[in-house]
Amino acid sequence: MSLSELMQLMTGGVVLGAMYGLIAVGYTMVYGIVQLINFAHGEIFMLGGFGALFMYAWIPPLQDMSLWLALPIMLAGGVAVSVAAAVAAERFAYRPLRNAPRLAPLITAIGLAIVLQQLVFLYWPLRSDGQTSIGAKQPQVFPQLPGDAITIGSVTLQWADLLTLALALTAMLALAYFVRRTRTGRAMQATAQDPDTAGLMGIDTNRIIVVAFAIGGALAAVAGLAHGLRYGQLTFEMGFIAGLKAFTAAVLGGIGNVYGAMLGGIVLGVVESLAAGGLGYIDAVQQFGGGAWKDVWAFVILILVLLVRPQGLLGERTGDRA
Amino acid sequence: MTSALHAFPHALPRALGRVLPPRAALALVLAGSAASVASTFLPWTWTAKFPGDLTVAGYPGGNQVITLTLGLVTLVFGAAACGVRPLARLVPRGSAQALRGLAFAQAASTWYVLAAIAVELGGLANWVAGSWVAAVATLLPLAGALALPDDRREAPPGGGLPRPAEIAILFVLMLGAMLVVDWGLATEHTQQFVGYVLALGFAAWGVNRSGLLEEISGVSARNRVATSLAALVAAVAFAFVQDGDAYLSLAANILIFGAVALGLNIVVGLSGLLDLGYVAFLGVGAYVAALVSGSVFSRYAGTPLPFWAAVLIGIAVAVLAGVLIGAPTLRVRGDYLAIVTLGFGEIFRILVNNLDGTSGPRVTNGPNGVPGVPDLSLFGYDFGETHQVLGFTLGRFANYYLLLVGVIAVVVFVFSRVNDSRIGRAWVAIREDETAAAAMGVNGFRLKLLAFALGAALAGLAGTVQAHVTTTVTPDQYQFLATAPPNSAFLLAAVVLGGMGTISGPLLGGALLYVIPEKFEFFDDKQLLLFGLTLILMMRLRPEGLVPNRRRRLEFHEEEIAEAEGHDVATRTAPAGVKA
Amino acid sequence: MRKHPSRKAPASRLGASLLAGGLALALPLALAGCGSRGEEGGSGDATTLKIGFDAPLTGPLSAVGLGMRHSAEQAVKDANAKKIVPGVTFELVSKDDQGTPSIGQQNAGAFVADKDLVGVVGAYNSSVSQSMQPTLAAANILQVSGANTNPTLTRGPKDEEAPARQYKTYFRTVTTDANEAPELSKYLVEKLKVKEVATVNDGKVYGQGVVTKFAAAFTKAGGKVVVKQQIGEKDTDFSAVVSNIKNSGAKAVVYGGEYPQAGPLSKQLKAAGAKIPLLGCDAVYDEQFIKLAGAAAEGDVTTTAAKPIGDTPAQQQFIAAYKAAGHAEPYGIFGPYTYDATMTIINSVKATADGNGGTVPDAKELRAKVTEAAQKLTFEGLTGTIAFDEFGDNKNHSVTLNIVKDGEWTVM
Repeated sequence: MSLSELMQLMTGGVVLGAMYGLIAVGYTMVYGIVQLINFAHGEIFMLGGFGALFMYAWIPPLQDMSLWLALPIMLAGGVAVSVAAAVAAERFAYRPLRNAPRLAPLITAIGLAIVLQQLVFLYWPLRSDGQTSIGAKQPQVFPQLPGDAITIGSVTLQWADLLTLALALTAMLALAYFVRRTRTGRAMQATAQDPDTAGLMGIDTNRIIVVAFAIGGALAAVAGLAHGLRYGQLTFEMGFIAGLKAFTAAVLGGIGNVYGAMLGGIVLGVVESLAAGGLGYIDAVQQFGGGAWKDVWAFVILILVLLVRPQGLLGERTGDRA
Repeated sequence: MTSALHAFPHALPRALGRVLPPRAALALVLAGSAASVASTFLPWTWTAKFPGDLTVAGYPGGNQVITLTLGLVTLVFGAAACGVRPLARLVPRGSAQALRGLAFAQAASTWYVLAAIAVELGGLANWVAGSWVAAVATLLPLAGALALPDDRREAPPGGGLPRPAEIAILFVLMLGAMLVVDWGLATEHTQQFVGYVLALGFAAWGVNRSGLLEEISGVSARNRVATSLAALVAAVAFAFVQDGDAYLSLAANILIFGAVALGLNIVVGLSGLLDLGYVAFLGVGAYVAALVSGSVFSRYAGTPLPFWAAVLIGIAVAVLAGVLIGAPTLRVRGDYLAIVTLGFGEIFRILVNNLDGTSGPRVTNGPNGVPGVPDLSLFGYDFGETHQVLGFTLGRFANYYLLLVGVIAVVVFVFSRVNDSRIGRAWVAIREDETAAAAMGVNGFRLKLLAFALGAALAGLAGTVQAHVTTTVTPDQYQFLATAPPNSAFLLAAVVLGGMGTISGPLLGGALLYVIPEKFEFFDDKQLLLFGLTLILMMRLRPEGLVPNRRRRLEFHEEEIAEAEGHDVATRTAPAGVKA
Repeated sequence: MRKHPSRKAPASRLGASLLAGGLALALPLALAGCGSRGEEGGSGDATTLKIGFDAPLTGPLSAVGLGMRHSAEQAVKDANAKKIVPGVTFELVSKDDQGTPSIGQQNAGAFVADKDLVGVVGAYNSSVSQSMQPTLAAANILQVSGANTNPTLTRGPKDEEAPARQYKTYFRTVTTDANEAPELSKYLVEKLKVKEVATVNDGKVYGQGVVTKFAAAFTKAGGKVVVKQQIGEKDTDFSAVVSNIKNSGAKAVVYGGEYPQAGPLSKQLKAAGAKIPLLGCDAVYDEQFIKLAGAAAEGDVTTTAAKPIGDTPAQQQFIAAYKAAGHAEPYGIFGPYTYDATMTIINSVKATADGNGGTVPDAKELRAKVTEAAQKLTFEGLTGTIAFDEFGDNKNHSVTLNIVKDGEWTVM
């Protein structure tokens, strides 16, 4: 394998990982505060992509202008749909079960994931060319950014890749500012540390939980838009595997730690990319390289990390918490 | 809101009660039931187009059979209410509730089919004299039953019957239940099945409220061996009352699914470990059995092993897989297991898909799977052939069904023995509070691993039979979620909907997951949506499942039950986030 | 009204409830259980024969399955209108297999149990057909698929070196992967003069079949497969695969799989700077492929097992009737083949009746005779002349090459 191909594979992995990381933040924040695996978060990501596509299909002028200009409106649409779905899920599905044995919210989450997926599958109203449709039974075409790929050194990057990296970086910086500097952010940290004491200190824990769901939803929507732009299509099932990967990333990075989520995502993305494109060059493991095996490697990495460092890359040892 | 909801069902009975004195009400129930029985001998519509052909006079058919049955049963319970001596045992906790349930069942199932006639054939004009008689007749018992005064009382102590009589009753009941299930399965039309479900649901509700079910479970608790034996006999008899193989292939698949669900119940229900990739263990068993079965598509076609060896290897490999997955993850607490097992389930599918000689080492024949798995032949009995036994014809699926009844018996035996043992109690302790359990000297890790391995073994066992029943084993049969069972999500749902920690719960849940799509074709592509909604609603309204384990019920409804018993539990509710 | 918790052992509440119900229904069953009723309804001389249909009608594959069902329904409608078999009315009994072998097998069991049923059309998935074959064969029921392309279904595990008929009741109207993929090789070697290609498949039966058959033909013709890649069936990110291909110097990519992934693969390939064509078989030939790949689709090539329908009067009639019925799902690639599969059963019944003095033999021997008739059958179908070889495959396997030109599929 040439160095240039290695660089190409690494870059591709980082971009893919940034997308995983954006989704993983939602898992990790919710888990950090209410210890719930929000299984439906992958579907929130899917809804974000569809929300953005909906704006594009619903407002015809967007289809005529340069896609760069339409992006903010599409992003707003995606974020609105994702946040609404995430907050509604918290309010109507999870909150009533907060004191139930922990299996109950988990199974609710699985049910919710199936429902959201099926609602899009059966009733998605609008095709990307503005025609009405009944359900998104086939892959939906997502509009593409204009312009050719750019080459930096020996690495070829698409505009959508650059945009993904920029969005991920911005989102993480904003999140860091929010958690560290704002009142709500600090309240969130306090709630994650000890919900009871935080409550006694006058923090409205219900509000904090809603905020965590909302932020997770917003970042997932960003990832959903990036997915559409990079691959040119959305499917109703795309949330399942992405959600699984993102949760793996969250565990890898140390669940409860937002930076860990992004780091875990990038590690996972690079591992996948190298497994799919790089292992084929190494004779000893050549049979286990290639796109067919990348998910297996991602999973092996997760098991290894759990064995060696159960709290994840950036996690703290939390005893009974997890 | 709750008070309004609770008040409403009382308003109507009270009003009716003022008009009708108890004796007259009872007479109305009896007379109405007799009339509805009579109405089933009249035609209900003029054209044979309506499913079940309700045009024949003097010979009830289709939905009429349901109304007829309910009418007769209501008459029996009515007689019990009148104080006919031996029948009083039918209503240990008062007869009014039973009569109400049965009257509701009559009215609901009859009115449903009458409405269906009017809607499907286009208008009330399609009703004939018999329909009007039935419509009015089924309302009378309802009015009468609602007007009856509430006569709920503490049940008198059970027992008193000689043991042989109790055992005889159990056998008759089990066989009767089997016939009812068979009738429901064999319904040819959606209308019949809906009527059947309405009838069974309301009748069971009413009879339960009158304490009969409690009485029966008392009898079965006193004769546990006889109960198991009766259930076994009824299950075997099911194969003999079938006309052809059509429902036996369904039943065989339900039993495979049920065996796996029971295995999962050990993991989820007893030890509280959430396994989201469980179907992979079924796949392991199926693949092992298919590969060594001598199928010409298998790489190991040259060395077919006998079935017992395939079963042992299948179980061994499944246990090995369970330990490999469990060992690293069970040390970590809680939810990691869910995600790792989910990943494992996906990995299994990818693995067997890749081990085809081009994408990886050649083992499993890749996406083509292993088709052409030959039929079993045990002790000279070829499962693929049709056999004549005692004058009955047993086809291919009947053979496998009977084999699977044996497998289920083994699984149930293992499950109940383990559940009642020290290990079972230790699992429950771990599930409730692992720290406290560890403090009491319970080795959490080893016991959890044991639960994992045992569950995997049972699923592997079921898999080895599945390979021969389905004759083809392919990777895409073993997914997390698909529109049809078996898949991991459906397995979990069978356990959760049926009732965690119980034996009958997962079997019932599994049967429903197979039968409902089969019978309600109009669900069509909305099956998964409804499935998801059911999961959510069940967790809100009845998290303990359809057949609750008593301990589970207490766990989920601690507050309500305690409230009903007059305790104050407000101080005991844990704050958010603490319950780990 | 609060329920007090039951104080009894929870041993078997289910059992108990079933028990009670059992008692309730046992009595009338005894009353009504004897004899069946009302079967004599309907006029005496018209016979109704049923044709089973099995495909995934719900879930992600439902669009394809429903398109096939509409086509089969159309065939039955046409046969009844034209009175192809005088005195016989056909009826389609459709069942959903959800793409699952065990469900397909249950459906096969139900088909067998239906005494009036003469043949089965389906399934869509090769794996489902594998599980249906033994059950249907044991009951001598003719099975004709319009969509199974896996060669082993007819020719057994060693389909190339030692083909052996698997089930004498199984036939198909669609051609197999074995016939299509070599055409791609011919095109590459003879037209494009390309000697190095990369192959990518989606890890499914169909996709692997295409790639394996292609590679065999291509190496025989002196070509070399420089990259062999496989992707997951739900993957969307092909950047690593694409970078492999780009660095290998391959001059073309042969993709075994379906359009939802072929489209994005073609797009990502060309966006990364590898301006080489992507080639595929039937399942890539779809309008949606061009939409998904965008401008990158230009110059991509697929084979289809027949010319796109619309040339002959019969095909135009079919298209018009299909349109008039207002179905939401397109008939797609497999609709016409499914139409012909249904017609195969109907024409086999006709041949049987003709050989029996114009009347259909009674149920006992009908199924076996219809299966025998299918083997000898020759008739003009929607997709060409239908006749079967000794393995049950359609003898007619013309292959057409299509190329994307100006954003549209055009026949080469």
